[in-house]
Amino acid sequence: MEHLLFIGNLICVWIIFSLGANLVIGYTGMMAMGQAAYLGVGAYTAAGLNIFFGVDFFTASLAGAVVAAVVAVLTFLPLLRLDGFYFALATLGLNFVFFDLFHNLAPRVEGSEGLYGLEMPYIISRPVGLFIAILGATILCVAICWRLDRSPFGRALRATRDKPEALQSLGKDPRKFQISVWALGGAFSGLAGAIYAATLFYIDPTLFTLNTSIAVLVFIGVGGLASIPGSILGPVVLVAFTEGLRFIGLPSTLTAPIQSALYGLLLVLLMMFRRQGLVGNYDFKD
Amino acid sequence: MTSRTSSLTATNLSMRFGGVDVFSDISFAVRTGHVTGCIGPNGAGKSTLVNVICGVYCPVGGQVFLDERLLTGASTVEIVRRGVSRSFQDVRIFPTLTALENVQAAMPTRHGEEVYSFLFGYQASERTNRAVAMGLLDELSLADVAGRTAQDLPFGQQKLIALARTIATGAQFLLLDEPAAGVELDLIPRITALVQRLAQQEQRGILLIEHNVDVIRAVAEDAFVLQGGRVIAHGGCQQVLNDERVIKEYLGRIYDA
Amino acid sequence: MGSIQTLAIGLGMAGYYALVAVGFGLIFATLRIFHVAHGTVFVTGGYVFFFLHRLYGFDLATSAAIAVACAAILGVAIDRVIYIPIMRRGGGMFAVFIASLGVALIFDALYLVLTKGVLAIARTDSLQIWNVGAIALRQYDMAMVVLVLVIFLLLYLWLHRTRTGLEIRALTDNEMLAGTVGMNVDRTRNSIFLIASAMAGLAGVLTAYDNGINPDSGNRTLFIAVVAVILGGVRNLLAGTLLGSVALGIITAFAMFLYPEWVTFCIFAMMIVLILFRPKGLFG
Repeated sequence: MEHLLFIGNLICVWIIFSLGANLVIGYTGMMAMGQAAYLGVGAYTAAGLNIFFGVDFFTASLAGAVVAAVVAVLTFLPLLRLDGFYFALATLGLNFVFFDLFHNLAPRVEGSEGLYGLEMPYIISRPVGLFIAILGATILCVAICWRLDRSPFGRALRATRDKPEALQSLGKDPRKFQISVWALGGAFSGLAGAIYAATLFYIDPTLFTLNTSIAVLVFIGVGGLASIPGSILGPVVLVAFTEGLRFIGLPSTLTAPIQSALYGLLLVLLMMFRRQGLVGNYDFKD
Repeated sequence: MTSRTSSLTATNLSMRFGGVDVFSDISFAVRTGHVTGCIGPNGAGKSTLVNVICGVYCPVGGQVFLDERLLTGASTVEIVRRGVSRSFQDVRIFPTLTALENVQAAMPTRHGEEVYSFLFGYQASERTNRAVAMGLLDELSLADVAGRTAQDLPFGQQKLIALARTIATGAQFLLLDEPAAGVELDLIPRITALVQRLAQQEQRGILLIEHNVDVIRAVAEDAFVLQGGRVIAHGGCQQVLNDERVIKEYLGRIYDA
Repeated sequence: MGSIQTLAIGLGMAGYYALVAVGFGLIFATLRIFHVAHGTVFVTGGYVFFFLHRLYGFDLATSAAIAVACAAILGVAIDRVIYIPIMRRGGGMFAVFIASLGVALIFDALYLVLTKGVLAIARTDSLQIWNVGAIALRQYDMAMVVLVLVIFLLLYLWLHRTRTGLEIRALTDNEMLAGTVGMNVDRTRNSIFLIASAMAGLAGVLTAYDNGINPDSGNRTLFIAVVAVILGGVRNLLAGTLLGSVALGIITAFAMFLYPEWVTFCIFAMMIVLILFRPKGLFG
């Protein structure tokens, strides 16, 4: 039972992370290859505030989301003038840069590579309470995205993705929408990071490598770009598959490579046969 | 909405790409409530002219004024906000948006279009916008396809959506780059009627760039002819279209062909 | 360890980087493909060599020859089986890039299972060292520098003296033009992937012999090569990648010596700065 709740929490983390990435990649068409950096910023902010400064976990999570959004915007502004491909490469580079920053500068608990020892408020100190809180946060995030999808803001994001220069000729600055959505995507990633820390009770820099950024690309690629059901479906299907491997008794030295090979295979097959994913509204353009 | 202005004036505009003159010394004025036609063969620099006015390119000489205020040097976005909007010859609609969404995305109201306002409180303005957008689409016989994705529609209808989109910005001056090219013949009267209504009822100033001389003849009061990067004739529409040089250099060739 | 010694080590590393970088640059400049799986081709060369030599007892030359051939075939196969079909189905640069990442993931996982992530070094003895003053130069490094220079010379001749080379340079200069003169793009494409992958495979063999490789080496080397290509610029491919690789070899050697914790940071921060300010390359 406890393990099932843990899997549920994990799926929720990836759903929130995927929603943020889908806003950026699917709705606005920016090839973000380093979203794991902001996941890490959120996780380290929340865990650090909680462990070293005694900030209660709810406040710390919100702070994680806000700090991740701010860091996201600050790192995004210089990249604004890059066009598609160099932009992807630069965000991928950012992921490596942040990995070294976490690795060398982030606080760690004596004698380990990472951080542990989160103090949870009483109501979420038991697994069931934690799961309900995380599920609540996830539902809230889905609701926000659902509102966004049908709002004028969502429409402007899709217009930015389709033809930025045409939007400009209509008196609206596409860069404004790109910055806004990047902040929003950063906040979602940051919140997902904070919840990730609460799920694992332990974080270290290896959780936020390029592989995690690729994983979110697989989640939304399989689920569907520019689609909220897609952002939910992807993580559910793929986490269920990985946990299924563990369940049938595969040793853990094999599950990690099998999962990674599966992600690789899915990326190749998706690009060959179904670029819009299972229920997507958009495909990886160009 | 921007404050009311009465004229968009270009004085001695010149543009050059890599040492080659696209056009030089072009002056004209577009007044509110009037349609000014601009005709000329392919490569005469008509689209470049629109790009220069809209701030996509900076001219190598000359200026554009909105009444007394200098427009040259402002960004494209700023120029639209001051009241000058353009359409593209090659359409450039938002392909994955519906026809209606294309028009709504162009409307100047910003309710619910910011990252801090998309959750609540824009429904009323959105309903008004929707009605206005539907009205525009209806005027161009597009009401039936309002809900269809733009990329699934034929080229002519995409072109009309783009026209509706430019109008929907609410800009006082519209630069329409060949709005009738590629549109089905029986829809052209709709376009001319719309352009006339915009000028007469809404007091907009329109620069109509067209290949189709009949469209110019139907709606424009003033006209000028661009050829080889120079204005070879300008004045009242009838006078320009009857100009000997224009007939010889330009119209003659069309009628021969 | 003095700074001249570090410089010598850097030049040694520049050799591997140059071999991987020039192939990556060739593919990127001519076909607009961001071939992440080029790192996989590199590491495959290394592993085939390692297994043949250490596990099955083939001699060095035979193992190396087979490894280079396998790498070359793998490169061409990735293009034919994956990239070309994606492009036929209307996929563009991003689609190919993402699929390429997928290929890299699959092979990384395979090698992780096969080797359990242990560093694979093919040599069993220590290498001959020449002492020049206070600097220790390894014969192996010197031989490699010569080998790389010879290969670059051959590449130069291939690109400038053969018909295929002419067609490839036409692709670099202007792909529209190349399409209109009716050249056989498919065959040219095969040659590009074949030569580029063979060079990456050779770099893999040389690395596996000396410093050793692990499943991560592919991506790591590839991204260093990418930075080298961006540094040198694709306009003047051979000279550019050679200069870029030397610069990166020296930079990584010094970074490893002075701030080993910050090597990755240095490389990628440099990449971002380059993309922002000199996307056409420092020397391009």
